[in-house]
Amino acid sequence: MVKKTKLLHAISVRIHKKKCIGCVRCMRSCPTKAIRVKGGIAVINTQRCIDCGECLRVCPCHAVIPLTTSSTDIGKYKWNVALPSPVLYSQFEQHVMPHQILSALEQLDFDYVYDEALMCEMTSRAIEEYLDDHKEPRPVISSTCPVVVRLIQRLFPSLCGLIVPIEPPREIAAKNLRKEIAKKRNIKQTDIGIFHITPCSAKMVSINSPETMTESYLNGALSIRQLYNDIMKKLRKQKTPTMLGTQSSVSGIGIGWAIGGGEIRGLKYVHSVAVSGVYDTISILEDVEAGRLKNIEYLECMICPDGCVGGPLTVENRFIAKSNILRLIKIIGGKKRIDVHFVKKLYKEKFFSFEHSIRPKPFPGLNEDRIQAIEALNKKERILKKLPGMDCGACGAPDCRTFAEDIVRYEANLNSCVFLKGEKYDSKKIPAR
Amino acid sequence: MAHKIKYQHKFKIKGGDFVRAGEPSCEIRNIMREIGIGPDIIRRVAIAAYEAEMNVVMYADNGTITFTATPKEVIIAVDDTGSGIPDINLAMQPGYSTATQEMREMGFGAGMGLPNIKRNADIFEIYSIIGKGTFLKIIFKLNGKKN
Repeated sequence: MVKKTKLLHAISVRIHKKKCIGCVRCMRSCPTKAIRVKGGIAVINTQRCIDCGECLRVCPCHAVIPLTTSSTDIGKYKWNVALPSPVLYSQFEQHVMPHQILSALEQLDFDYVYDEALMCEMTSRAIEEYLDDHKEPRPVISSTCPVVVRLIQRLFPSLCGLIVPIEPPREIAAKNLRKEIAKKRNIKQTDIGIFHITPCSAKMVSINSPETMTESYLNGALSIRQLYNDIMKKLRKQKTPTMLGTQSSVSGIGIGWAIGGGEIRGLKYVHSVAVSGVYDTISILEDVEAGRLKNIEYLECMICPDGCVGGPLTVENRFIAKSNILRLIKIIGGKKRIDVHFVKKLYKEKFFSFEHSIRPKPFPGLNEDRIQAIEALNKKERILKKLPGMDCGACGAPDCRTFAEDIVRYEANLNSCVFLKGEKYDSKKIPAR
Repeated sequence: MAHKIKYQHKFKIKGGDFVRAGEPSCEIRNIMREIGIGPDIIRRVAIAAYEAEMNVVMYADNGTITFTATPKEVIIAVDDTGSGIPDINLAMQPGYSTATQEMREMGFGAGMGLPNIKRNADIFEIYSIIGKGTFLKIIFKLNGKKN
């Protein structure tokens, strides 16, 4: 239905080979051990990458390039819509209000700007409907962060069924906008380009290869970082004096989605928990898998620290950004801006629902054949005993354990270990158990 | 010979050590992923291993969890030295618990530990000698209920 430029691999970053100095920082920071340093350059294993953006944060040389939509791609469509994440409202000086930012954005190359926060509030309501209808299993896990969805598919495949089968606000908003604008302006749906203004590049992957629908309703995603300067310039030119949010139609409940805990803030279910940051998310999902958190109704997980305001493609310091959002919530208020009955009707019509459920995609074991996998595991432990255990990363793998795993997968050679160099590789030398 | 192929790993558990509790069952899950065991079996083993581990932490002095994987099954064997269970039938009843007030305040002791292990296991055996300790053998078949 919607045309878009497909990437060769569904992954949200690439390594700039000339800029990369092979310093191993990205490799060490990767939670799924998807990076190796080969020949002095970082290489990402696209099968293991979950697009968390940790490598993007730590790279000292800016060699990890986020693959967001370029501004030139916008020219392909006759009618362009910007769908900014509420995080955008937290990125400018304190006195700048959301409606000013929206109008500055509209003055760029967009024909229309839609406040995603409103849809966030509607989604909160839809999630509540779902929780009302489905009393178990628990906890129900948020579907908003595409990295969390990927993490669950890969590392916690048995939890796929716990993800709330409701599309995140950006997709629902785009779905609605495309239909409405085509009708109102009498233009073809394919002539409309809808672009998310995003704090992370992970959205790019959920647009290029969505997990719950055949094709995304969005055409691309531009980063806040990309547009920041242009928005700044327009903001400076705005002549109207600052208005303190009185005319803003954005939703206070929806804006909260930009920070960790924002999603559960709008829910009546008080036994909800919000977690942010990649390692804390992994650890809480381990608890869920061990059956420890059945008393919790809803679990909000955000891969970025402090939620979307901590996204790698934002500009403002995340603590300042968080404070800005909290202040906006105070000013605009937590008052409901949506028609509850209307949302209920849409929910019943399955307007918010996934097209199909999320499929588990576990990482492959050491070998497809179970007998060989068990043998490989024993071999791995024997190799591990021989390794120094310093996790220096000089071999090109993030730690000794992963290096041993690479060897039994025939992806690395024991000779690469700088401590064992000189000792000729001899499988007989590996100590027997 | 195929039937001799196995992987085994032993974990030590100390009674009362709530800080490190959960680490062995987490490690067991990682091992199962590497063997390529299906998600649902991993989940069942993870639940059972965690419950068994917590039983040792809460009620015993010392213990070991031995994880064994063969091409056909996963075995979790738990061996502890402690006070033992006076009445196993009673302990197997859902909701029955001898947890102290302190443990309950920490969110444990709902009396679902052993019933939960049994529910997730394919074969479950329990032996206990009062004053000596308890032994659990929990078996999960890999080929029967696939996914």
